[in-house]
Amino acid sequence: MKYLKQITIMFKKLFQLVLFLSICHNASADLPNDTAGKVETLPVPYPDDWVIVHDIAFDHMSIGRFMVMDINGGDIKDFFKGSFNGGFISAFTQALKKPEMYVLEHYYDRGTRGNRTDVLTIYDKATLEPVDEIILDDPRLKRAEILVSKFVISLIDDERFLLFYSFTPGTFVTVIDLEKREVVNGVPLPTCAGIYPTGKRGFSSLCGNGSMVSFQLDEDGQVTGQDKIEPFFDVDEDALFERPAIIGGTGYFPSFHGDVQEIDLSGGAARLGEKWSLLNEEDKSQGWRPGGAWLAATDSTGRLYVMMHENGEEGSHDYPGSEIWVFDTAGKTRVNRIPLTLPAIAFDITMGDAPKIVTTNIEMKLEVYDARSGEHVDTIADFYHNWPLLVYASQ
Amino acid sequence: MNWLDKQTENITRNVAKTSSRRGFLGGLGSVIAGGSLLPLLPVARARATEQPGPPEVDPGDPATCDYWRNCAIDGYLCSCCGGTINSCPPGTEMSTITWIGTCRNPGDDKDYIISYNDCCGKTSCGNCFCNRNEGDRPTYRPHTSNDYNWCLGTESTAYHCTVNLILGVAIK
Repeated sequence: MKYLKQITIMFKKLFQLVLFLSICHNASADLPNDTAGKVETLPVPYPDDWVIVHDIAFDHMSIGRFMVMDINGGDIKDFFKGSFNGGFISAFTQALKKPEMYVLEHYYDRGTRGNRTDVLTIYDKATLEPVDEIILDDPRLKRAEILVSKFVISLIDDERFLLFYSFTPGTFVTVIDLEKREVVNGVPLPTCAGIYPTGKRGFSSLCGNGSMVSFQLDEDGQVTGQDKIEPFFDVDEDALFERPAIIGGTGYFPSFHGDVQEIDLSGGAARLGEKWSLLNEEDKSQGWRPGGAWLAATDSTGRLYVMMHENGEEGSHDYPGSEIWVFDTAGKTRVNRIPLTLPAIAFDITMGDAPKIVTTNIEMKLEVYDARSGEHVDTIADFYHNWPLLVYASQ
Repeated sequence: MNWLDKQTENITRNVAKTSSRRGFLGGLGSVIAGGSLLPLLPVARARATEQPGPPEVDPGDPATCDYWRNCAIDGYLCSCCGGTINSCPPGTEMSTITWIGTCRNPGDDKDYIISYNDCCGKTSCGNCFCNRNEGDRPTYRPHTSNDYNWCLGTESTAYHCTVNLILGVAIK
């Protein structure tokens, strides 16, 4: 009987040990195996607070890139959503009605030398993969490589045609039919540049003698009409920036000295609108002028935002801006001055009901401001980049 | 040093007077307006033949942004890249299609027409970036716009650095 009791106790302890080991084993269960090949995708349309930032890679231009970023703060895992490439100071635009983005670029088969291939690459917004490409092999129509311009490439006719500025230095506007996926025309330009969508299926360009030309195209991309605004500004005395904000079919073109020239682009040909000053007398005495790599933008309410610097002079038109001024275009009055925490060289404004200004500052970091209040919200930095020069609000 | 640091530096730079160059550029613009073919561009004939003059008539260090010939430049100074003020670094190709500026030489107080020729075919030099924009105008007037990549007519459009060549004294 005594032995039976001891055996019972022993089995009881053994059971407790097995139970303990079992619990311990369950607490450190193996992680499940991962599945190879999983790749993230992005939501389309992109949220309002996402932007696309062009790293022009000025120190290694053969491969620049575009970064998709959420500007709602956090750390790098929160704001960096993905990227896609663009060769040799590429040009970029995005569709509103299709999940497509377009990169105009070229490459050499040995990096910086060898055979050149020009291509319009079509990226899918969700996967950031190139889903199609159009080879551009007409030597007359090689694209212009311009460091800072959003208007070297434009979509017209409900996004059916893509136009880009060609410069060899012969000047053309190349017309691509995106449905057919082919080049359908090369429109010769006089000494002009910039592609500003005009009317149903047309575009306008500013010219070196201070004039503007307009073209309308037919359903095949061929020119059906041409018009011209005779010279209306002095390029030497007070040039218009070729970097306007387009608001409700009207282009607002700042001038070097601080005027803004309105041009109606809603009809079949460009029509000259009012010219008014961004400056009051005190501003003028302090030498305030518009400037920067990208200096004008708008928000969902149609206000005009212009980046400004003080003590302007000949040659200061590319200087970083220390403030962004906000104008009511109906009343042609300034409604806000937004001091920047650091001077900026370019900016854009997100769409939606809570728009935010996103600047590239002189330290090549992104700054986020509330566009309504002007309050500084965040600084986005510490991500690998060289030249995140131009910011595009997602469409 | 990146471009924007340089830009910020340039804010304080004393900008040369431009009254005489405007007259010249206006005249030049009227000559080439409407013409976009290469032979019409006078700058296409630019060639590197001259060396910088003695300091008393050609003052300044060509490897610095403040050097007078750099008044309208936007790029890397070839003097810092294995080239000189008017010659490209080894293994590159000089573009003969260029933009021009008009710069005042403090050595003789004359305005000189300067051709800014890009050296091409290798990736960016990365040394001595300089961005000055005196007389620079938007891209719709290409011959005075430094926002283009002027590696045109070369085997490769890869931009490396920029030299500046005297084309002559500006006629007032």
